[in-house]
Amino acid sequence: MINQAIRPPELVPSVYARELLPRVAVSPRFVSLNVRELFSDIPERIYWQGGDLSLVRKATENALANVSMEKIQPDDTVNILCCEHSFIIMEGEPYAEIIRTTRDVVKERTGCENIRLRIGVGVGFHEAEELVEHYRFDEYFDGKTSGVVPLDKGIPIETEIGTLYGVAKAYDADKIIHVHYDDPREVYLHRYIDRGLKPFGMGYARFETRSVFHANFGNRSGNFIPRAIFNSPFVQEKYAFSCIQMSSPAGITGVEADNDARLLNRRLILSALRSYGKVLRLINAIDECIVILDGGKWPWYIHAGGITSGNLFKAPMDFLDLRVGSSENEIGSAFNPAIKAVVVNNAWKQAFWDIELRAPTIMVGKHEPPFFGVKQIVTAEDLEAAIDFAVRISETDKIIVFDGSFGHINLSPSMAEFMLKKAPEIAREVDEELLPMWLKQRGIDPETIPETM
Amino acid sequence: MSKLEILLLSQVDETLCNGDRICENVCPTGAIKVTEKKARVDENRCLACMKCLDACPENAVTLVLRSEPLEVGIDPSTVDQERLRELCAKANLDPEESICLCNGILAKEVAAAVLEGAETPEDVALMTGVRAGCAMWCTTPVLRVLKANAVEVVLPKGYRMYDIEPTVWDIPEEVAEKYPEYFLQEDAELSRKGTLETFASVVVGRRKQ
Repeated sequence: MINQAIRPPELVPSVYARELLPRVAVSPRFVSLNVRELFSDIPERIYWQGGDLSLVRKATENALANVSMEKIQPDDTVNILCCEHSFIIMEGEPYAEIIRTTRDVVKERTGCENIRLRIGVGVGFHEAEELVEHYRFDEYFDGKTSGVVPLDKGIPIETEIGTLYGVAKAYDADKIIHVHYDDPREVYLHRYIDRGLKPFGMGYARFETRSVFHANFGNRSGNFIPRAIFNSPFVQEKYAFSCIQMSSPAGITGVEADNDARLLNRRLILSALRSYGKVLRLINAIDECIVILDGGKWPWYIHAGGITSGNLFKAPMDFLDLRVGSSENEIGSAFNPAIKAVVVNNAWKQAFWDIELRAPTIMVGKHEPPFFGVKQIVTAEDLEAAIDFAVRISETDKIIVFDGSFGHINLSPSMAEFMLKKAPEIAREVDEELLPMWLKQRGIDPETIPETM
Repeated sequence: MSKLEILLLSQVDETLCNGDRICENVCPTGAIKVTEKKARVDENRCLACMKCLDACPENAVTLVLRSEPLEVGIDPSTVDQERLRELCAKANLDPEESICLCNGILAKEVAAAVLEGAETPEDVALMTGVRAGCAMWCTTPVLRVLKANAVEVVLPKGYRMYDIEPTVWDIPEEVAEKYPEYFLQEDAELSRKGTLETFASVVVGRRKQ
């Protein structure tokens, strides 16, 4: 079951990235575990890095076949709204194909020509530009592409709880189509309460609204912000349908689409809890470790076995258990004490979100400082020296590599043995206790939710 | 107390600057302003947050090393502790609550800045370092503390910041009852009046200072 380390997805170039370094998986120190060998009921994938994108296109076409597009008129302007975070999943190719296919199907079925792409981004103004260039979206959308940055000019949206602000560019069309994804990025924040709608309060929203989500509400109740915005007359007048990239720790499992975003959200949650629950619990069960970051995104958002690094950096608790409540600030500032050291190989450099203040942090190669925390980071000449130092100061050789991988986890042999030993008990616990509880807490009865997958 | 040493400084290449004022609208401290159609940086207000650099479509902004670091931060122990606690409670914040995750700034530091005379979000940013990171967490707590101190927040023209009100403590009962799946009432009670003793804080512990 313990295999050779597997080369992770390639890194998409970015002005925010560190100077590209050799990938960690090439080091003979590391091995890999296949996630479906750890948990055999993880759904199989239809796409994995470098695979056949025509399967993704077909899945998207099939999903959209059941969607009504009557709301879109030929002379309408239409914004396809998407989020940058999904472009890190397997080099973003499946998500880009879903976006392209959605545009093609809408054009064919409605006769609408004026279809634009709006990419919601987390922080940087150049993130969307880079994605447009890399996936050649300008050619596909006749140059009608734009980023949606939280600092861009806003637009007030009247909701049940008062005025919130979207980014004006997200809504500068007659109709909007929401193209999203389902992986448990930041499960400690969205808690799979309204994962399917989250961008309405985050990716498509001004930073003040995002701050309301994070700081004016609790960790669970913040998820009402996207719902409030989505429910607003302003958004409902424009909203046409949603299309979601579905995944498991193994890779892309399919595509779902619906006019009813609430129903789609429930299907997403059911699928995600089943698909990701065990690997999430396994990651959270790690008792001590060194984390190596080796991917092409902000340090919190790099995958290993389909789970983002942030889910390990946060507390080792079960964030799928909705009995666990707190202020979002408290969750946000939590840091998993199991993490004894962090080695930064490849990652985006602009902001380390204070990881360096929480655990000894060793940067491979030359120092490329974020704005603050410069004094808290040490450098090592190369990867091997960085790992040697991390092992020495942390007194553990259990290492997990976050390098963008789906399908497997690259890790040290001792971590592999730890996970293999833990997996059977976690599988039993999730099957018999946790999954039924998680679903019940969300009012989801698998028997009553139509599944189209 | 968090002391931040700002080592860098934004610098504008006036030959590239077109005076579009985008930089003005993204600067958290009002450090960069357009005068005579060119952006100019006030060295004493620049937190090197890079927002102007990132936002400038003309790539007219770069970062340079300061000759001397700019030290930012406030010692909350220097203000009246009872007033500080009262102000935090009025804003529904725990004084020890981390409200700026990027720079590790606590509610008590923001409250101290307001008690020391900060009257705008820009003042608070400059005195504490909040909003120099992502600004997606700390923005509304700053507004809450200012308003709790009866400051009439005046925001600059343009779109640097919009005033925004909704909080979990102000949700009408009928809305909370309509949407039980969001735990609106439960979460309001968890962090009301500046007392955070929740499951998370017990399990995880507070951040080390």
